[in-house]
Amino acid sequence: MARIQDIAAFNAARETGLEKLMPTVPRITVGMGTCGRGNGAEGLYHAFAAAIDRSGMDVVLAGVGCFGSCYCEPIVSVRLPNHPLVMMKKVGANDAGRILQDLATGNVTPEFVFCRIEEWDHITGHLRYGNGYPEVPLWNEVPFFKGQQKLVLRNCGFINPDDIEEYFGIGGYQALYKVLIEGRPETVIEQIKASKLRGRGGAGYLTGNKWEFMAKAKSDQKYVICNADEGDPGAYMNRNEIESDPHSLLEGMIIGGYVTGATEGIVYIRAEYPLAVRRLQRAIEQAREYGMLGENIFGRGFNFNIEIVEGAGAFVCGEETALIASLEGHAGRPRPRPPFPAQKGLRGKPTNINNVETWYNVAPIVTRGAPWFTGIGSAKSSGTKVISLVGKVQNTGLVEMPLGTPLKTYIYDVGGGGVDGRQVKSVQTGGPSGGCIPQDMFDTPVDYESLAQLGSIMGSGGMVVMDEANCMVDVARYFIEFTHSESCGKCVPCRVGLNKSLRILNRMTEGAATPHHIELLDDLSRYIRECSLCGLGQSAPNPVLTTLRHFKNEFEDHILARRCEAGVCEELALSPCENSCPLHMDIPRYLQLYKEQRFDDAFMAVIMDNPLPSSTGRVCQHPCESRCRRKTLDEPVNMREVHRFIGDTMLLSDKFEEAAARVAARKLDPTGRKIAVVGAGPAGLSAAFYLSLLGHDVTVYDDKPEAGGMLAFALPEYRLPKAVLRREIELIERTGVKFVLNTRVGPDISLNELDDRYDSVFLSFGTWKEAAPPREPGTNLKGVYPALHFLESVARGETVQLGRRVVVIGGGNAAIDSARTAIRTGAEATVIYRRERKDMPAIAEETHSAKEEGAKFVFLATPHRIIGDDQGRVKSIEVVKTRLGEFDSSGRRKPISTGEIQRFDCDAVIFAIGESVDIELAQSAGLKLSHSGTIEVNRYSLASSRPKFYAGGDVVTGASNVSGAMSYGKLAARSIDRQMMEADRWKTAMPDFQFDMTAPDAASESRRNRGRELDAALRAKSEDEVVAMLSHEETLDECQRCLRCDLSVANAT
Amino acid sequence: MQTLQQPRLEAGEQEFVDQVITDRKGRPGALLGILEAVQEHHPHKYLPMATLDYIAAKTGVPLSRVFSVATFYSLFNLKAQGDNTICICRGTACHTRGSRNLLQSARLSLGLGLEDISEEDKVLLTTEDGKFTVRTVACFGQCALAPVVEVNQKIRGHVNERTLQREIETIERESE
Repeated sequence: MARIQDIAAFNAARETGLEKLMPTVPRITVGMGTCGRGNGAEGLYHAFAAAIDRSGMDVVLAGVGCFGSCYCEPIVSVRLPNHPLVMMKKVGANDAGRILQDLATGNVTPEFVFCRIEEWDHITGHLRYGNGYPEVPLWNEVPFFKGQQKLVLRNCGFINPDDIEEYFGIGGYQALYKVLIEGRPETVIEQIKASKLRGRGGAGYLTGNKWEFMAKAKSDQKYVICNADEGDPGAYMNRNEIESDPHSLLEGMIIGGYVTGATEGIVYIRAEYPLAVRRLQRAIEQAREYGMLGENIFGRGFNFNIEIVEGAGAFVCGEETALIASLEGHAGRPRPRPPFPAQKGLRGKPTNINNVETWYNVAPIVTRGAPWFTGIGSAKSSGTKVISLVGKVQNTGLVEMPLGTPLKTYIYDVGGGGVDGRQVKSVQTGGPSGGCIPQDMFDTPVDYESLAQLGSIMGSGGMVVMDEANCMVDVARYFIEFTHSESCGKCVPCRVGLNKSLRILNRMTEGAATPHHIELLDDLSRYIRECSLCGLGQSAPNPVLTTLRHFKNEFEDHILARRCEAGVCEELALSPCENSCPLHMDIPRYLQLYKEQRFDDAFMAVIMDNPLPSSTGRVCQHPCESRCRRKTLDEPVNMREVHRFIGDTMLLSDKFEEAAARVAARKLDPTGRKIAVVGAGPAGLSAAFYLSLLGHDVTVYDDKPEAGGMLAFALPEYRLPKAVLRREIELIERTGVKFVLNTRVGPDISLNELDDRYDSVFLSFGTWKEAAPPREPGTNLKGVYPALHFLESVARGETVQLGRRVVVIGGGNAAIDSARTAIRTGAEATVIYRRERKDMPAIAEETHSAKEEGAKFVFLATPHRIIGDDQGRVKSIEVVKTRLGEFDSSGRRKPISTGEIQRFDCDAVIFAIGESVDIELAQSAGLKLSHSGTIEVNRYSLASSRPKFYAGGDVVTGASNVSGAMSYGKLAARSIDRQMMEADRWKTAMPDFQFDMTAPDAASESRRNRGRELDAALRAKSEDEVVAMLSHEETLDECQRCLRCDLSVANAT
Repeated sequence: MQTLQQPRLEAGEQEFVDQVITDRKGRPGALLGILEAVQEHHPHKYLPMATLDYIAAKTGVPLSRVFSVATFYSLFNLKAQGDNTICICRGTACHTRGSRNLLQSARLSLGLGLEDISEEDKVLLTTEDGKFTVRTVACFGQCALAPVVEVNQKIRGHVNERTLQREIETIERESE
């Protein structure tokens, strides 16, 4: 190919390219970016080539770049002449033949179809593919692409990056042609200035101004440099841009070189991006061959060349003076500015450095003009920004949106929210120079100013989503570890300051820090920010300062409670299961003790960690399983069933007396202190048990005729037989705890009286009130019940006349318990929930069992009104269908009424829509309440606003669950004891066991043992317990499945 | 003044280095390019001291500066690399998806110790038998596939401790 010097040759090249892009035969493309390749795109490409060969069809096959939706690689596009381009996702090599066959008959294989594109605006050109396939969604109807505007990524995924002619085909190099023919560099600079294009590398400096400085600088030699040293971990848009569309970069640089008077261009690119380097190298060769680079470009007397320099892995080289030092053969250390590179840059000559993405915006602005560009984005931040959306989000990939789009659009609408049903906690923008933004600030628009206000930055556009399983202290530590190792060492604040910061953060994650360290870290971070020489040091403290600002409670947890709720900081947990257990049971210990057939020790280990092992063994939400490492092999260890078995074999057998005596024998000497516990639910029982063991004189008050709280009066017999609970309570009684039942604190005995008579008072009277009485018309009809009243009546053995058809409103455990209890009275139950099944807070196994027993479920519906008959009895209920709208603060979509009404005939309606605290009692006691109507306490001591009074369980958290409530009782006991005795005596009361501390050589082959469930038809008619206990052999087998994470790295030494 | 002896390299090696230097001399980023090409050419992917000596003498760049560059950038190795390289991405996306555990488990299964190296400039550990090198990279730019591990120049996405273990076992089997 001869060098193109005139318009005729230029147009001819364009025509050739267009024919390749829109051939008169079918064209198939495979996305061959690094992420495509990482998912098998190469094999897929060869499979298509082979299939085409075999079929003898005339098909054009091309490798293209990446379309941005990295989560569904490998991506394939197919197009028949005059038809839309159809994108296909997750195509495997085995599928190539079938797709080709279908294409031969004019069809697109439905199972791979992703979206269709009828026409595409390449900005520099416009391709009209054709109409058709109405059943396939248009590309911007797919949630991931909705709202995206592809300026920078205009060609990515469409053209073959190794073929300059395809680039000509979409109007490539026309902007360059125009600029050179017009020959007025100053107008181009004016245009860039007017466009308000800001540097896309991070700092956001106005590109036009930078160009103007450079143009004005007088020198025989000037350089333009593309900074492609994308060292920001978590951002990869530059890699993708170069891999997919290298010529747009070259065109931008050549235009920039021409208008600023440069003669040489350099692309400084990471050596870790071999594919991008290769494609860019090839693009440069082709551009030379076609006369876009080299001497006398387009016959206009302009000479320009571009060279590639591979960076060798130094984050600081993203700083422009460090980059220049690197090019000059030095270690990449920055120097103070001024002089700015535009005055004195590479080899002392004027130099202009722009980020990759900045260069990609040049040709579009030249083509469409500044007003078009400023029409996109927000007032101060025009245009778009490519964001790499990664981390704990469902749809990962590159997202290009107009600047000013709110964060939540990226995370929820485009990203599809958190993974594995976990809630998104925060998003980190701007990489190591940026910060963490908490979920409640996701309304913030993504532009330079707004992010800076939150202490973060836009940076190069990395957006790493984090969820509950990410620890923010660890995240801060991670970034400091990074900037610490990447600090060039030239200036003291950065070199020494970051080292000190890292040491403090290490202490925090190891649980060895003191509250003073928070302050120290904050001060230190500010000094580093103010005093460092270059951008690296000045911005390195941002991750720390933002996490300190927005997630201070996590730092406090690490320091004051030595807890890492996310379970990331290994030194603060025995094992992932222990860390996620609200009671922090030493699970590996009892599994190992049982495995060693030391049954008495196993029981003692269990009961001292959890005084209600049999009850919780049946009804706990088992968060332990969510983090069990065994899950990566097959299924989590059934830890709950094991402690149920250990509990049952002692508590429900003739060994009870002996076991109870051994527990009571552990009691410390009497202290003479008297403590009142108000409420005999799980929280109160736990507090009483431990306080009694610590030697105190404990009295528990409850207004019900029996102890147990919700366990006794809200949980149905078939889930938790009362006999089991009674035994556990009996054991607690044997330790010396006194129960005063049928006594309501308030009317029967006042809190002031308790204050007078006891040394400390623990309030744990739970949430027995309906959260908010339903407001729908008809709730006063006969046959409408609040769930707790209904369940309590049944538990008391009263007969509730439900009738034949029962509707339950709600999606939590109380709703499911109500439905299953109703079924046992012979009724048909329908559960109506306003969200979707996956959003239900109820334990999944319970929901599943309810369904097996015949419960029906109606999702996406909320009550409208209840209709009664002439005797004032429920006749039917009308519900409004809902649809899911925007994400709310819980990270779930908000149900919105559609106005569509549906009617269900029924005889009873049970509302299970939450419970709340009896505020009057708390208020009358002069206790400070939170705005959500719960008692306010210190998170670590559980002390309330009133001296001597502590509170825990549902009265503090609002309605939660058994183990959660018990954890408060346990914590309160320790805290009250420490406060009264002025020493931490906890460990002296707790048993210590020696057991085998060697990890199993190999994971046991056994699959998870589960308790057998009674047949659904049988159990629906019976009050009998539905899940049978494991056998001794099964329990032993289950214990052997444990991988002993307690012997992990952190605990090895 | 000719007091120092001109350093020499093995014949084939010296020829290669000479050529690389000739190709790049005077160009921007020449020293980086020379060191990259020479390291890549070495069967054990590193820069022996003798080679640095030679490059300094040949290019006229003071050895102190050559050494400064070779130790500043994380890409350069001054020690021989193992026959197999496992490179664990420590980018943010990979970190949030558990790449530290991958690093620990690779170190554990190859007997590379577990002492805290968070204050080191880079992680680069080679087994005594020279079979494996475990190292980290700041980011591969493969964040959508996190966590990512590169095993002998091949990128593996969505890696967990088990699949990494299998990769190591496969290499061990094949090298026997």
